[in-house]
Amino acid sequence: MSVRDDQLRQAMRQYAAGIAETHTAPEASLIWFRAERRRRRMAIERAERPLRIMQIVGLLCALCAAGWLLYRSMSTSAGIATPWLVLTISGAFLTVAGCWTMMSASRKPLS
Amino acid sequence: MTEAEFQRLYDATAGAIAGYLAAVTGRRDVADDLLQETYCRLLAQSYSGSQSRKLAGMDALATRRYLFRIATNLLRDRWRSGEDKPFAEPAEAAQICSFESSIDIRAMLTHLKPKERELLWLAYVEGMDHAEIAAATGLGRLSVRTLLFRARNKAKRFLSQGESL
Repeated sequence: MSVRDDQLRQAMRQYAAGIAETHTAPEASLIWFRAERRRRRMAIERAERPLRIMQIVGLLCALCAAGWLLYRSMSTSAGIATPWLVLTISGAFLTVAGCWTMMSASRKPLS
Repeated sequence: MTEAEFQRLYDATAGAIAGYLAAVTGRRDVADDLLQETYCRLLAQSYSGSQSRKLAGMDALATRRYLFRIATNLLRDRWRSGEDKPFAEPAEAAQICSFESSIDIRAMLTHLKPKERELLWLAYVEGMDHAEIAAATGLGRLSVRTLLFRARNKAKRFLSQGESL
């Protein structure tokens, strides 16, 4: 005997009713809370994006400056006065370190 | 969307979405996760300007269909990423006994492919027509018609064989 359409429909609806009876869906408030938390996290990420871009740009600029200064100091030892050279290299190093620290701090998850 | 509005929407639709997810995945824990994610995505869209206006313009039926669409997309993402296999192993066909009362729909669903399960569920349990199923699954109307025809025949064949056992 073949199965008719209405028989299949009825059987599937019975099965669905069985699932509905035995299955308890999670609380709506729980989902609302989860969505709110996700929204806040996304808002923070959005707000931090320009800062992160500036950090990366700063880091790249500092690396380029440090590389250029190193190259200059090696090629022409008398090109730049020693105190200025030391000051500039220190400045570049501090910028790189600062950017690096900020970037690693912002990557840590919020408690 | 306010919390009260969400609560009303959830009360009206969660049962149907949960049943759909449980039937298609065959796993209640996965269905619960996907149910939460479905509503979280809907809420996330209600926060963004253009999507929020689109959602506000939907009536209850369209919102319900939209929720099925999100749930279907989540199911597909899950299978594509290979996170889990729906219905670990097919249930024994021998469990199928007398017709009407204890027809083994679970075994039948196990026998079908995920997409076939989705289509059959939407057509027979949710009572959607081809256009509505197409909107809920993202398939074309003609594809829905063909796939649903095949799924129906496959299901009937399986149940008929089971009945003769």
